[in-house]
Amino acid sequence: MWGFYFNELMRSLPFFLKGVYMTVAVAGLSLLAGTIIGFIAGIIRAGRNKILRAIIGVWVDLIRGTPFLVQVFIIFFILPGIGIELEAFPAAVIALSNLTASFICEIVASGILAVPIGQREAATAAGLSQYQQLRFIVLPQAMRTIMPPLVGQYVLLVKDSSVVSAIGVVDITRVGWLTVQRIPEGLMVFGLVGLLYFAICYPLINLSGFLERRMTVASTKL
Amino acid sequence: MISFKNVNKWYGELHVLNGIDLEIAKGEVVVVCGPSGSGKSTLIRCINRLEPIQKGELVVDNMAVHDKKSNMTKIRADIGFVFQSFNLYPHMTALENVTIAPLKVKKMKKAEAEKIGRKMLTRVGLEDRIEHHPAQLSGGQQQRVAIARGLCMNPKIMLFDEPTSALDPEMINEVLDVMRDLAKEGMTMMVVTHEMGFAREVASRVVFMDEGQIIEVAPPDDFFTNPQTERGKSFLKSILTH
Repeated sequence: MWGFYFNELMRSLPFFLKGVYMTVAVAGLSLLAGTIIGFIAGIIRAGRNKILRAIIGVWVDLIRGTPFLVQVFIIFFILPGIGIELEAFPAAVIALSNLTASFICEIVASGILAVPIGQREAATAAGLSQYQQLRFIVLPQAMRTIMPPLVGQYVLLVKDSSVVSAIGVVDITRVGWLTVQRIPEGLMVFGLVGLLYFAICYPLINLSGFLERRMTVASTKL
Repeated sequence: MISFKNVNKWYGELHVLNGIDLEIAKGEVVVVCGPSGSGKSTLIRCINRLEPIQKGELVVDNMAVHDKKSNMTKIRADIGFVFQSFNLYPHMTALENVTIAPLKVKKMKKAEAEKIGRKMLTRVGLEDRIEHHPAQLSGGQQQRVAIARGLCMNPKIMLFDEPTSALDPEMINEVLDVMRDLAKEGMTMMVVTHEMGFAREVASRVVFMDEGQIIEVAPPDDFFTNPQTERGKSFLKSILTH
């Protein structure tokens, strides 16, 4: 029986690859948007404007303090109630970008704040503008602190993306759910699902480790 | 060149600068000394508004630093500032450290900025360290890069905030030598330091501060041999017998 199901599963591989494609699409778009929004929010959070800092702080706390599944449901099921109707795919990307941005915001802000105050003072004394200080002095140094946890966040993003299967996005997890109804070998089907996620995440995990080692070497050298 | 008129500054309740009046002429070298917490670092940090003042007038090269509307970029570009802890940019080479402000603030061409950068690094004796990163340099070398960084902006004034306090004793002189040369060339300088030998040799005047006030202002020979106040006497006694 096991062999029969295994052959069936192999025949479903194209379906699984579509799921991989969907997972990569949702995660990739969210990575891009989450990184951009996260950096902007993080720079503001480490900045001088107290009101903006507080607003972003509340946003970060709200996102971090609620389950991601609930956030996805709010965007997909509750927003239509106030007239904002979204397809599953854009709803998933918005929810995941928002989640990722809130975590990246904190990573970026703490990276910026870890740059010694003397660096800004020296740049201020030389006449560099706020923007020039950030661009040429602060961010290049902050990136050493930011890079390793940032890539770690990307790994979490890929894994968290499985939650969006709950609103009908046909990602790897959803493909697993659909397949297991035809092939009732849960271990086998979800073993494959896990393997596919791992195949996406493993290079990222290595990249994170590599960056961590490189940044440590770089900061002791410099 | 620098004019303090009744300058006051508070950190909360703490009155860190209390009614400062001081005029510094072009080409003068003024050494500021006093016990820690006397406000001497704050005094020179106000000159380029690293610290804002709350009351009084502070005019630098005909620009009102106390006025919030003043264009500080322009004033800062004309004032070199050397920190106790060097504050070199660790991700840049010595040459990049000294050329970033000419490139970005003065919008100089790269070739021109690098020419000036090499010239100034040579001037402070670091012609063989141009491509080194700060971590590959000794403390004394780092501080000389920091001085060259200020000089590359062709400043009218150089400010030094305890430039040798973080250095090992054998490196202090290489930094003081560079500062002596600058003083002899007629640079307007304000130096917060405990190096009394340096003060005696190159200072036009010594400003002695305590508890946010200027207690004495005198030529170095007068101050060191015959301080006029009790606080001046006890300060000199404490630093000369340590």
